[in-house]
Formats: sequence, structure tokens, C-alpha cells
Amino acid sequence: MAITRRELITTIAKTGATGAVAVAVGAQPLHAEVESVRVPSAAVGLLYDATICIGCKACVAGCAEANGEVPDTRGDGLHQAPTDLNDLTRNIIKLYKPTDGSPSSFVKRQCMHCLDPACAAGCPFQALHKDPESGIVYWTADKCIGCRYCTITCPFHVPRFQWVGYNPRVTKCELCSQRLEKGLKPGCTSVCPTGAVIFGPRTVLLMEAKRRIKDNPGRYYKNKVYGETDNGGTQSLYLARVPFDDLGLPELGPESVPEKTLRWQRRFYQYFALPAVLYAGLVQVIRTSLKGHEAELHEHEKQSGLRAQV
Amino acid sequence: MSAIPNTQVRTTQVGTEDRWERAVPVFAFPVVTPTFLVLLVLTLIALLLTGYRELAGLGPVSGMNDAFGWGIWKTFNVMVLTALGSGAFAVGIAAWVFRRKKLHALMRMALLTSFLAYACGLLLLGIDAGRPWNFYWIVFPWKWNMHSPLAEVAICMSIYAMIPLAVENLPPVLERLWYFDSRLRPGVEKIEKRLHSVFPYVIALAYLLPGMHQSSLGALMLLAGERVHPLWQTPFLPLLYVWAACFMSFGCVAGTTMLCCLVWKRAMDMDVLDEAARITFWLIYGWAALRILDIAFREQIGTAFHFDRFAAVFWVEMLMIVGGGVLLQRSVLTHDKGKMYLGYILSSIGGMVYRFSPTTLAFAPNPQALYFPATIEILVSLGFIALGVAGFLVAVKRFAILPGPLYLWHDMASYFRFRRPYIRWTGYFKYGFFGEDEEHQ
Repeated sequence: MAITRRELITTIAKTGATGAVAVAVGAQPLHAEVESVRVPSAAVGLLYDATICIGCKACVAGCAEANGEVPDTRGDGLHQAPTDLNDLTRNIIKLYKPTDGSPSSFVKRQCMHCLDPACAAGCPFQALHKDPESGIVYWTADKCIGCRYCTITCPFHVPRFQWVGYNPRVTKCELCSQRLEKGLKPGCTSVCPTGAVIFGPRTVLLMEAKRRIKDNPGRYYKNKVYGETDNGGTQSLYLARVPFDDLGLPELGPESVPEKTLRWQRRFYQYFALPAVLYAGLVQVIRTSLKGHEAELHEHEKQSGLRAQV
Repeated sequence: MSAIPNTQVRTTQVGTEDRWERAVPVFAFPVVTPTFLVLLVLTLIALLLTGYRELAGLGPVSGMNDAFGWGIWKTFNVMVLTALGSGAFAVGIAAWVFRRKKLHALMRMALLTSFLAYACGLLLLGIDAGRPWNFYWIVFPWKWNMHSPLAEVAICMSIYAMIPLAVENLPPVLERLWYFDSRLRPGVEKIEKRLHSVFPYVIALAYLLPGMHQSSLGALMLLAGERVHPLWQTPFLPLLYVWAACFMSFGCVAGTTMLCCLVWKRAMDMDVLDEAARITFWLIYGWAALRILDIAFREQIGTAFHFDRFAAVFWVEMLMIVGGGVLLQRSVLTHDKGKMYLGYILSSIGGMVYRFSPTTLAFAPNPQALYFPATIEILVSLGFIALGVAGFLVAVKRFAILPGPLYLWHDMASYFRFRRPYIRWTGYFKYGFFGEDEEHQ
């Protein structure tokens, strides 16, 4: 006897009604969350102007020094010349130089400190979390299980995992928070000779970026501040002459990655309401099945003279 | 029946005699065989290499790099093999929720394969984690990131394998104890009674949790955004993942049972196998339709005809899965065991490729990025598969897992009475072949 239609309908009706209530209750705060990404009250960040950067890489050395990192000389054994962000490098200068002779540009890569960070959205035990005040995305060694999901989720491909050693770390820019506490500026901004990268509250940096665009018409790509709205807004802001996509800053749209991709996931697990309702329905159905199954087993036991197997 | 049947080979019996009515251990075959020893050696090698990995870190033992942060330990042993091991979920739902009663014969096989796949997957997940000692956060629910698909996977999988799956696998063990020694019977019966009273809650949990984490495995790659090729990256990824797990696990359970019947020369109950095949090919057709429709609606169908590796993988997947489905459909009409087996194998391997693709084959963090597993990585991965297979071999030979016809049980009772009269395990005689009761002798 398969599940009867009547039973199916009543079960669905029972679970569905409660489920609808649960979704209605769950959806309310969710909408508020979706509408706009909250900017932390004291959000600080970096403004990098690629048109001023001369590519001296003082910030790369300054960053390592400020974070007490060993200079990464694994390239040639002599110079601190990492080719990309890695487990010793939180900050790097790269050169974009097209072969057709169109304008080239340097780009400084470090954590973008997104307003809605994908790394923190994916991190299972909140090892990566966004400080509610400063908005800095921190990594906590005590909570990290080393799953490397952050290296997959980050749309800017920033967090890097230490591949060698029994106690690996995840390395990413934390805006030199230990220096900020002492009233100092982050390592990269304090050594930059041209002021290509500056540190400050996000609102001030945004105003400064817009002032530069206004003062220098035609200098900046699309007159756009990358990070104002991209990926729901970031706290590291970029100005450049060449398309941002070429500098490794992809066009992500104004919606943040977690918001875009996890909308249904989040709705489903809101307050754990829907799974709970589903569970109640399943218990109900299985109870009935189990009764029928046990009766059948008993019958079979009598017939065969062998002990029933559940 | 012959007076002293000491072999379970009965080729002459056909028809209703061959109905699978009872799970019977694979008796008269030794546990320690050359195959078993090879599997143990593979496991041992993997364990030794694991020790090395814990000291040296992940870099020296694997092909993982900054671009491909996940290697086959996660993407194959966890993502693919737990899909194969979703039998307890898929077959269970068909049997208990949709009341396909014939499938109860396959339930013990489904539960065992699920438990082994999940246990081995979880072990390797712990080894793959860079900082496994921090897993203790799992016991503090307020520290979970409830919206993270990975937290969902890690937490759900551990709970699922440790509680519902383990409890569901208890009956064969208790049964073995019951037959082992009559003095144990009152205690065992007491435990069984208690177990039965919690069964509805445990079974329901055993369907809710895998449904959640198998879909969350798909949701994992949603956050990777455009780095996953558009033929795979879709908001429906969670649904497609859990759906693929359903038909793959049907293939795994029914296919493994068929293989076991072939190896240990048991009769096959085509009623049950036809039922399973019928469900499987409908699942496959539904899945393929959803996938094609989804790709068409996202207007990405053109990318399937580009001349690149992504299109090739896509067509291999689709042809294997749908081809397997067609074979299964044909086999149901003709009761052709060979076709059915091939159908299961094809669709399951196609499903495995599908579950593997978004994380590896169709994952392109940047055009230069390459990943190929290192030798040690492959050996460890193989070792943990070997552990599962070895566990399976022991379990089917020592516990009543594999379904068989009723006469097989009597054969077994006779076998043990005449071959091993000195062991108390002859408790199988209670209501045995000659109808006598050991307790009253």
C-alpha cells in the first residue's frame, strides 16, 4: 500500500500551513537585511589611486614589516619579490601592461574589507568576522578549522592559506589593527612616498575620491570609484585609468555575492523554522509507515517461524 | 531440500522461491581473503601518510594551491562519495515516506553503504582541515555561522553519521547478539524495544539532515560565483545536487547488491530490482529535464556547443546519466540484469562526474590555474575508500545485511550446525531448519 492520496494531502496541508506562517515570520527581517548593506558606524578603509602609484613596492615591504612577517624571498632567495598574495604577503603591487600599447597601470591588491564579506558568510565558525564598528574583517586563529572555504568564496581571491607546516594560518590584510590601536596608520599608507594609498574613514575617503574625479575630468575610468557600490560596497576604494576588470577587480554589480547567491539558503534556514516543520511532518508520516511495517513483519514472523528483521 | 546443504549455490530454483525475504549474512566465505588484505594494506599506507600530512602540512602532500584550495579529499571523497552513500536517504524516503514496500529488502544495504561512505568521508574531512583541533566549536551552537553552507555541511554531516545513521545500523548488530548467545536475549530485546520507540524520530531526522547537507554541498559553490562555469553555476545547484545524490545512491545500493549477488552467487529478486530501477530512471529523467530547462532559461545553452573542455565534460556527464537512464528503462521491460547493472554503473559514474565538476573540472579561478592531485593525495584518498570497502566486506559476512531468499537462512543454519557444532553461534537454530529450540534442548 503506497501512501494514500488523502493522507498525503492532509499531511501537506498540516505542514504547509505551519510552514507558511514560519516563512512569513522569517521573511520579514530578511527583507530589511536585503535592502541595503549596513555600513559600520566607524568604517575605516584605504583609498588607492592607481594613477598616482609609481610601483615602488615600498608598501609591500612596509606591510610585511608592520605585520612582523618574514620577507618573502622564496622567489630568488635574495629579494623580497613575491609574485602574488601568499601566506607571507598581505599586500602586493602588480603591473597591468597590455601588449597593444594602451595605457598600463599598477594595482595594489589587499583585502577589500567588503561591507558584506563573502569569506565571513561562508566561514563555518566565524573565524573570519567583520568588526561591527571599524568594519575590519578579522581572522581569528582559535576558531579557524582550516577548511580554506574563504579562498574559494572571496570574489577578489584575497585570503591565502599557508600550505606548509602543521599549524597553518590564513593570511589577509587586517588593516594593521595592532598599529591602529597605537594611533598609527597602516604600514602601507605610512610608507607610500606619493600618497597613492591613503587611510581614513570610509566616508572621508569616498568624498576625497569624488573630489579627485571632479577635479580631473577624463583622468579616471568611467569616473567611477570602485568599491563604492561594487559587491555591496567595500572599505578599500580604488581609482584607476584602465578598466577595473583588467586590474583583477571584477564587475560584481551592486549586490554583494552572499546576498545574491545565498538568498534562498538564508530564507530556508531562517530561525530553523522550515526544517523544523518539515521534521514534524516526516515524523508523522513515518510513524504511520512504521506501524504498518511492524504489523507486516509480525505476520511474516508467524509464517516463516523466523525472528523478524527490522 | 538436501539433508546437508553446505553450499549456498542454488541455481535450479526460480520463481517465488527467489524472493528476497530476509537479510542473510554471507556465510561460508572467509573474511580474510587476499582482496581484504590488499584493502588493509592500502588503508595502512593511507594512515601512515596521514601522519606525515599532519606534520608537514597540506602543501607537500597534495596538489592543492592558492587557486584550487580544495583537492580530491573534499571534492571527491566527501562531495562525490557521500552522494553515492545517500542510499539511506533516497531509498529510505522511497520505502518509508512513499511506502514502496519492496524496497525494504534493500534498506540494510542502503544503511550500511551510507554509514561507511559518510564515516570515511568525515574522517578525511578532518584530515583535510588545516586546523582540525578547532573542530570542537561544533559543540557550541551559538558559535555556528548558521548561514554558511559549509557550517551546515560540517555540522549536519557529523550529526547525521554519528546519531541517525549509527542508530539505524544498530538492528543487524543487535540481531547478531541475539543469535550469538541466548543469555543475551532479554537484554537485547529490551534495547530493541527502546530503539523502536525512538525510531520514527530518528528516521525522520535521517531524512531531514541529508536533505539539508546534500543540498548545502551544492550551495557551497554558489558563493564561488562566476568562477564556476555557467553550465554548472545556477541557483538550482542545491536542488540538482541533492537530486543527483538520489539517483546515484539508488545506483550504488542496487548496483552493489547486484554485484554482491553475482560474486556470492545469490538469487536476484527482479521484483525489487525492477522497482528500484523504475524509480531510478524516473529520477534521472526528471533531473536531466530540470538541468536542461535551467540551462535554457539562463540562456547558456550555447556554451554547451563551444569547443572546450567544459562542453566536453558537460556532454560526457549528460550522455552517461541519460544513457544509463535509458538502459535502466529498457532493462525494466526485459528484466535484463546485465543492462540494468550497466545502466546503474553509467548513471552513477555520470552523476559522480557531475558532482565533481563544479569544484574541479568546471572551476576556473583564473585561466592559468591548474590542479592535479599529488601521489600521496591519491593514495590517502584510495586508502580511505579501501577502509570503507573493507568495512563493507566484514559487515556483510558477519551481519545479516545482504538480502536473500528464505531458504538461504535455513541453509546457513544447517551450515553452521554441521560445520561448527562447537560454537554457540549456532543460535541461528532458534526456529531453525529442524524447528527445534536451542533453549529447550
